[in-house]
Amino acid sequence: MGRKLLIDKVNVPGIETYDVYRKEGGYRSVEKALKTMTPDEVVEEVKKSGLRGRGGAGFPTGMKWSFLAKPEGIPRYLVCNADESEPGTFKDRYLMEKIPHFLVEGMITSSYALGANTSYIYIRGEYMWVLHILEKAIAEAYANGFLGKNILGTGYNLDLHVTCGAGAYICGEETALLESLEGKRGNPRMKPPFPAVKGLWQSPTVVNNVETIAAVVPIVNDGGEEYAKIGIGKSTGTKLISACGNINKPGVYEIELGIPVEEFLYSDEYCGGIKNGKKLKACVPGGSSVPIIPHFLVCKTAKGEDRLMSYESLSDGGFATGSMLGSGGFIVYDEDQCVVRNTWNFARFYRHESCGQCSPCREGTGWMEKVLYKIETGHGQMEDIDLLWDIQRRIEGNTICPLGDAAAWPVAAAIRHFREEFEWHIKNPQLAQTKNYGLVAEKVFEMAQ
Amino acid sequence: MDIKANFKNKVSESGSFSNNNGVDVKLAYIDNVPYEIKPGETILSFIRRNFGQELVPTLCDAPNLEPFGSCRVCSVDVALQQNGSVKTQASCHTPVMENSYIYPSSDRIQKLRKNIIELVLTDHPLDCLTCEVNNNCELQEVAAKVGIRDVRYPEGKNHLDRTKDLSHPYMTSDMSKCINCFRCVRACDEVQGQFVLSMAGRGFDSHIVKGSEVTFNESDCVSCGACAQACPTSAISDIFESKSIAKAETTRTICTYCGVGCNLEVATVNGKVKSIQAPFDADVNKGHTCLKGRFAFSFYNHPERLRTPLIRKNGELLPATWDEAYTYIANELTRIKNDFGPDYIGGISSARCTNEENYLMQKFIRKTIGTNNIDSCARVCHSPTALGMQRVFGTGAATNSVIDLQYTNCIMVIGANPTDAHPVTGAKLKQFAMKGPSIVIDPRRTEMAKYATYHLQLKPGTNVAMMNMLLYYIISEGLEDKEFISSRTEGYDDFKKQILANDIDELSKITGVDKELARKAAIAYASAGNAMSFHGLGVTEHSQGTYTVMLIADLAMITGNIGRRGVGVNPLRGQNNVQGAADMGCQPHQGAGYYDVTNPEYHKMYEAFYDTKLPMYVGLKIPQMYDAALDNKLKALWLMGEDNVQTDPNTNHVKAALGKLDLLVVQEIFMTETAMLAHVVLPAASFLEKSGTFTNGERRIQRVNQVVQPIEGTKPDGQIIIDIMNKMGANEPDYDAETVLKEISQIVPFFAGVKWNELGDQGKQWPVLADGSDTEILHIDTFKRGLGKFHNADWKESQELVINKKEFPYIITTNRELEHYNCGTMTRRTNNAKILTEDTLMINPADASKHSIIEGDMVCVESARGKIDVKAHITDEVLPGILSSTFHFPDMHMNDITSSVADSEALCPEYKVVAVNIRKSKGKYKGEKVVA
Repeated sequence: MGRKLLIDKVNVPGIETYDVYRKEGGYRSVEKALKTMTPDEVVEEVKKSGLRGRGGAGFPTGMKWSFLAKPEGIPRYLVCNADESEPGTFKDRYLMEKIPHFLVEGMITSSYALGANTSYIYIRGEYMWVLHILEKAIAEAYANGFLGKNILGTGYNLDLHVTCGAGAYICGEETALLESLEGKRGNPRMKPPFPAVKGLWQSPTVVNNVETIAAVVPIVNDGGEEYAKIGIGKSTGTKLISACGNINKPGVYEIELGIPVEEFLYSDEYCGGIKNGKKLKACVPGGSSVPIIPHFLVCKTAKGEDRLMSYESLSDGGFATGSMLGSGGFIVYDEDQCVVRNTWNFARFYRHESCGQCSPCREGTGWMEKVLYKIETGHGQMEDIDLLWDIQRRIEGNTICPLGDAAAWPVAAAIRHFREEFEWHIKNPQLAQTKNYGLVAEKVFEMAQ
Repeated sequence: MDIKANFKNKVSESGSFSNNNGVDVKLAYIDNVPYEIKPGETILSFIRRNFGQELVPTLCDAPNLEPFGSCRVCSVDVALQQNGSVKTQASCHTPVMENSYIYPSSDRIQKLRKNIIELVLTDHPLDCLTCEVNNNCELQEVAAKVGIRDVRYPEGKNHLDRTKDLSHPYMTSDMSKCINCFRCVRACDEVQGQFVLSMAGRGFDSHIVKGSEVTFNESDCVSCGACAQACPTSAISDIFESKSIAKAETTRTICTYCGVGCNLEVATVNGKVKSIQAPFDADVNKGHTCLKGRFAFSFYNHPERLRTPLIRKNGELLPATWDEAYTYIANELTRIKNDFGPDYIGGISSARCTNEENYLMQKFIRKTIGTNNIDSCARVCHSPTALGMQRVFGTGAATNSVIDLQYTNCIMVIGANPTDAHPVTGAKLKQFAMKGPSIVIDPRRTEMAKYATYHLQLKPGTNVAMMNMLLYYIISEGLEDKEFISSRTEGYDDFKKQILANDIDELSKITGVDKELARKAAIAYASAGNAMSFHGLGVTEHSQGTYTVMLIADLAMITGNIGRRGVGVNPLRGQNNVQGAADMGCQPHQGAGYYDVTNPEYHKMYEAFYDTKLPMYVGLKIPQMYDAALDNKLKALWLMGEDNVQTDPNTNHVKAALGKLDLLVVQEIFMTETAMLAHVVLPAASFLEKSGTFTNGERRIQRVNQVVQPIEGTKPDGQIIIDIMNKMGANEPDYDAETVLKEISQIVPFFAGVKWNELGDQGKQWPVLADGSDTEILHIDTFKRGLGKFHNADWKESQELVINKKEFPYIITTNRELEHYNCGTMTRRTNNAKILTEDTLMINPADASKHSIIEGDMVCVESARGKIDVKAHITDEVLPGILSSTFHFPDMHMNDITSSVADSEALCPEYKVVAVNIRKSKGKYKGEKVVA
């Protein structure tokens, strides 16, 4: 059994209420930080913990916090990104729904560390019931003196607000989130300036994922060094993984970073193996944006080493043979699933969610979807595969925000690893409507730039 | 080869580079060749500075907009070392990094650009041959440049069937041509600040909307046309097809409407004006104008233009030849001069005409006639500004320039409505107010007031009390700039004593402005570091106009806000050349260059310069001319381009005076209310048909260049004046701007270095020294008069209210609307009249309900002079007891009710305070317009 730092108490009855949460040791990190530590000491602990952003990019949190500009007389903000919209990712919802005070506690401790007196949780509009859960938890925290003026008599003030989005995936991008939070259309901003310098209301701002902020609670409670003992290499601590697809036990799991993918996929403690005894065809290990990897690269790297559930191991081999840990949206496909159809489905999502600001993404996501649809419905031509490759190449890295990359990568990886299946679709348009291609051969393709 | 050796500057021992002046420079490499980086540069500006516009194509970038980074066509490869691994970056918004290697046209990049344009073209009609902007389309140009030959994508869903929007009198849109570059949205936000256009939908469904998805006509669009000019295709354009290359040639000239002095680029086809655009390189307006400047030009060849001289015979104005008209006038003027003396003749010049024409007008009156009875319409707008600022500073002109808005920390707008009356400067002020602290002092909640940090909504006619409140708080809070006061000013001790003697509660009661609000505003202005004030006719057109101007100047001096960037006292001049008309000497007390006509030394100088005898006493101001006419002391009056009957207060009084004259000559482009009373009407040429110079509100002398030939039968005003001078014995050469400007530069000291050929596109700000250098900021080290002089003034209620307020308890003030200019002679003859069709009376809901008036009711407004009917617009922009109305349409006769009360010092009429009573009108509006 791996250690659980975030969700070990989710099954305690009434844990969503302040009283039970407090009785179970909740809000200790706030007491410890506010009463015994300076804000810089909290930042230092986070740095020591090696915590990396849990939203997908995996940027070291302590470093992000230390970039925060601190000009005289200008307020600073902490914004929690709870706009969890990546297909295959539902871990933040689980945390907020089950144990909302954990996030509130994390927000207070983190806000203190950053010197923010106003903080926001920006939650996706589709999570309206979770918003109400959070609002209730926040009201309880106010009532018990953990929010508002002069918290715990320390002189520290904090107001915490929950704001909801209106159904746009793009608002999970931090600068688009800030625009939306300011009441504007959620278009990403150009960087620089980065939010750490000019974020919300043109003031220095840190935007962190729900899980990242929650992880600050055990870090402060037990110390950064203790936290860093869990995990492997630069992947420290625990991570929430939302597992779905053709597995026996879909759900949210808290794992110690560094456990083998094989263990995660097949052990009864986690996914419990492929459903109905089928064979594994492919896996998207970090949410819809990360490259899909074929069965033979899931549990082993190209070098033949065990692939681990860690930032480094999952991206081992780069995009040629690896993928990413991303947000921890672990999607598993069995041998009966069609990669063309799946890629089209993802492309349709990104076409729908592109904000439309940058021309490569606005037009390109639309065309990827159209061309994939053509192939999927049996009207594809061989040159369409090259066209698809060409479009995704023009999108990747050529947009203001990473949505372009997120839209390009799944298409690129699908062609890279499953080109045969695409060609089979085009050559057998009738057959492809009723039958699936099955597993691809174990070979790695060299692709043009 | 050592690439650094290529760089012509030297490498210092430390390894850093220094240029030829020994200053360390930062380098970056373009295709492996080093170039110097300027601070704050983006990669794009860095490349363009060294290679010109051509090397890197762009679509979403525009010269007057902030970088946006959305089209990605400007992408370049950037490496940290020579031929190292590259990252593609959008050059338009990425700052150029020291020692980076930039590859603007690598194969990868060229392919990227081609692919992006290919994607864009999949949703753009390929009907270039029939497109308005064919050959002048940025998309077309970029597509050609990147070498698109075909589009590989199959036919798919697109937006080519979007309907056109032709609802607006000027603006048009065809969104099937839209490439989602956001340029129009940004122009609307960043240039005009109107926020009408925005992007709706997302991804492939993104589309530009006006307001809440309405048409141009239904939206809040102010028709400035910035979006149309910004649009790289023809998705947004105008009815004149301004972006079409059908324009054979373009002429750069200056707008004739307000005192902002926007540069215009006028396109002509076959000798006719086709369209007007705003040049991006103009210092004054940087690619922006309002709908008057850009669209309201079609008056110039309107069928109603006067095309022949008219002489009144048997009570009727009948066509005559120029020679008949000149002979008639010359005979009459000679007769009156001989029978009564030259002082029985007067002239009123026009701030709408050029400097050269104004100069000639006063020369004609002074030299040929021999009287100082010369005045101009500056009398009825900014004469108190000129006089008040002269008394305090020594110079009656704006101390700073509009560009100083970039350097200021606080603005104060007093009695001005710049977003309507000076739209281009107004947009800049609005942009400032949205970001920085601003104070607006105005009885109306104007658009500026809505954005202001502090809106001091005072009662009309209490400006002096308001200024005293601000001065009181600055002194009592100890915020005065003691250093500046002691070194640069005089008279402060007395001034301070009198200011502190004010009863602040009493002042608060008079103005109706809360003390605390006034205190906060005073502190904001005084502690800003750099604060600028702007004022307009809400300051000057009062019985205490000159005093208010002096107190505004006092405010600047007491806080040390004079003589550097981002500060000063900046009157927003109403007419295009109101500054110039006064500079040229169209004033009864001062000749060209502001020399006192009663000073023996200057008198001698003028006599010598004009080689004639001149009177050594002050002539008549405009209101005095009317009185003199009624008194039989004035027999002839020459009006150049002014409709006094409609625009001067107390119409019946003006009409009676003009009716008494033996000779009334009117130079006009249309048959105005005044011209109808004339004995001789002379058809003049409009600003598009002549050359000369206008001086804008920031003292900028700019070249007006003839765009088209004068309409047949008309002559430039300057030529008409010269003709009559020659008819009366002078020997002047034909009107030529350069010749007259040369003469002006010999007598007006601050024009000393002004030369026609050296004014260039941007003009020069006077004083222009003999060596040709000009002046952006006045009073840097010392005031024109030496030390700045503090002047006190106590508030006095206007006689109009003292006498009439019992019987007429409401106060009506006058205001302007964006669409029309003054009495609308020109703008009413353009499509502007379709946008704003009539005058309206603003009335507070409380007052309206008291009189059972509902929106659109006709209201009878009655003063001691007369009554008018006007349509009610119920709004809380005015406070209870206060009314406001425009007077753009002649049918409305606003000036039937205004009074003859005028500024005690400069005789500027008090249009802004009239005691009236109101009732719901029983009769029908006499001039009711049919609204389509």
